[in-house]
Amino acid sequence: MATTTTAPALELAGIDMHYGYVRALDSIDFHVGQGEVVGLLGDNGAGKSTLLKIMSGAHRPSSGTVRVHGKEVELHSPSAATHAGIQMVYQDLALVDALDIATNLNIGREILRPGLFGLLGFVDHKAQRKRSEAELDKLGVRTAAMTRPVEMLSGGQRQVVALARSATRVSGGHNGVLLLDEPTAALGYEQTQVVQALVRRMADQGIAIVLVTHNLQLASAVCDRMVVLNRGRKVADVATEDTDTDHVVGWITGARGSMFD
Amino acid sequence: MRGLIFLRDRGIFVLWILIIAVFAVWANPYFATLNNAILVANAAAISAIFAAGVAVGIICGALDLSIPGVAALSSCIAGWMITTGLPVWLALVVGIVTGALVGFVNGVISLRGFNPIIVTIAMLSITSAAASIIAGGYTFPGLTQLDFMGTQRYLGIPAPVWITAGVFLVGTVFLTKTRDGIRLMAVGGSAEAVRRSGIHSDRYKVLAFVISSTCAALGGLVTTATVTEANPSASPALIFTALTAVALAGVSLVGGRGSLPRVLVGALVLATIANGLTIKGVQPYWATGVTGVLLIGSLALERWVTASVSRRLMATAQASVHTGTR
Repeated sequence: MATTTTAPALELAGIDMHYGYVRALDSIDFHVGQGEVVGLLGDNGAGKSTLLKIMSGAHRPSSGTVRVHGKEVELHSPSAATHAGIQMVYQDLALVDALDIATNLNIGREILRPGLFGLLGFVDHKAQRKRSEAELDKLGVRTAAMTRPVEMLSGGQRQVVALARSATRVSGGHNGVLLLDEPTAALGYEQTQVVQALVRRMADQGIAIVLVTHNLQLASAVCDRMVVLNRGRKVADVATEDTDTDHVVGWITGARGSMFD
Repeated sequence: MRGLIFLRDRGIFVLWILIIAVFAVWANPYFATLNNAILVANAAAISAIFAAGVAVGIICGALDLSIPGVAALSSCIAGWMITTGLPVWLALVVGIVTGALVGFVNGVISLRGFNPIIVTIAMLSITSAAASIIAGGYTFPGLTQLDFMGTQRYLGIPAPVWITAGVFLVGTVFLTKTRDGIRLMAVGGSAEAVRRSGIHSDRYKVLAFVISSTCAALGGLVTTATVTEANPSASPALIFTALTAVALAGVSLVGGRGSLPRVLVGALVLATIANGLTIKGVQPYWATGVTGVLLIGSLALERWVTASVSRRLMATAQASVHTGTR
């Protein structure tokens, strides 16, 4: 995917976050480029979720700046983040169970029928199905018939639909940022493989991906770079090929000293 | 698998056909006639309109209990206007708009974080009180101007049946074919999913209340037209009949699921049972009892079907993810 800008898709600089006297994040610098998968790792309470919430607009940092494609933005709400091209995929997926795959993928950006019916708000189901099929084909995941209700899908298929929904929303225009929170937490081995391949393919299309996970295997399999937080501080920021699992575990647990001290 | 899904989605149609078949034999030769079919349709018509309102509310995740009050209020306003000599069309329009307004208020209050059930119960009291105040403790009798939508027949079919058919046609097309209808159903299924798609889910909640109350107003007006009298007493029985039809139709009370054609058949099932038993000279309270048994039976069936479907899904899921087919 041709990229015209050199600025990272998402860049956070000097992010502090205080909850009362508790310092949840301590001057965190973080960036993710187009087509890059960055793993965000750390033990419980290390600040991963807080950082993710800042990126998705759910929380505002006490201080620090956020830049999207080099432009400074205020992410004062989740919808502001969405507007800036940042999409969060939550663990609970939030799909509409009773509706089919195509409708789930198209809600909020429906294709209306041409002419009078369109003016009356009639949806062009056929065109929507076609578009969704094309989009899923592009991501290399054709999970099931487009007309199948989401409730009749397996956990892995649902995860794929949820990821695809977010991917289609950030890949229009210029490439956006996907924030994934434990995308494989509820999945079995094979389904994890499918999701893993999907994440890679989304990155190949130029989407910037931040992956929060506890699963080191997953992280080393799909991430280009790993960022490790420990007690609110960034202790490591390293290309996956330059490190190994033992080092990462050391940073996560605190047994290994910070790269930056 | 397909059979099970068919049973879940179309079970109510099968049930209705079974009931018709039973009565056709048992109550031969009086049941299975064209005239009796029209009678059944007419009996089902008004409760079906109310059921449509209840169903749209539930599908979007809100049970609207103010329906009997709204029906009484709308019919009393229209009755008062007609009695004072105002044009009939104006009375009908004002009656319908009143319903829509009450729905809007219901929706807006519910969105403030109040429990919609309590809000609509309060609205039930308020609207029925308002109806009584307008009627001054009496009724508005002799509204023969409304015959055209009450007892009048067109092509041999009573006006309420035509109106009901119209309501269900428009409602079904709206819910399944239009953007707003689909979003409304989606809000009932998962408001969070809709919100994350960048849509104001609140708007659709209010819309559901408006549709629900508008159906209630229409039902009240048709009732008034049929009995040529506007009555301010709100009958709570009305909401339970409507709920029974909705539940028989398998509309999940959790929201996000359900289809209007099935609700229509639900109302028809109730009317068919009442009609058939009446023909056989069985006391009407038996019909009520049979309805109750059917309702619990349909719940049991639904649970069984859902459990079976998910069991089979678990079995095929592993393979399907891998092969990428279905």
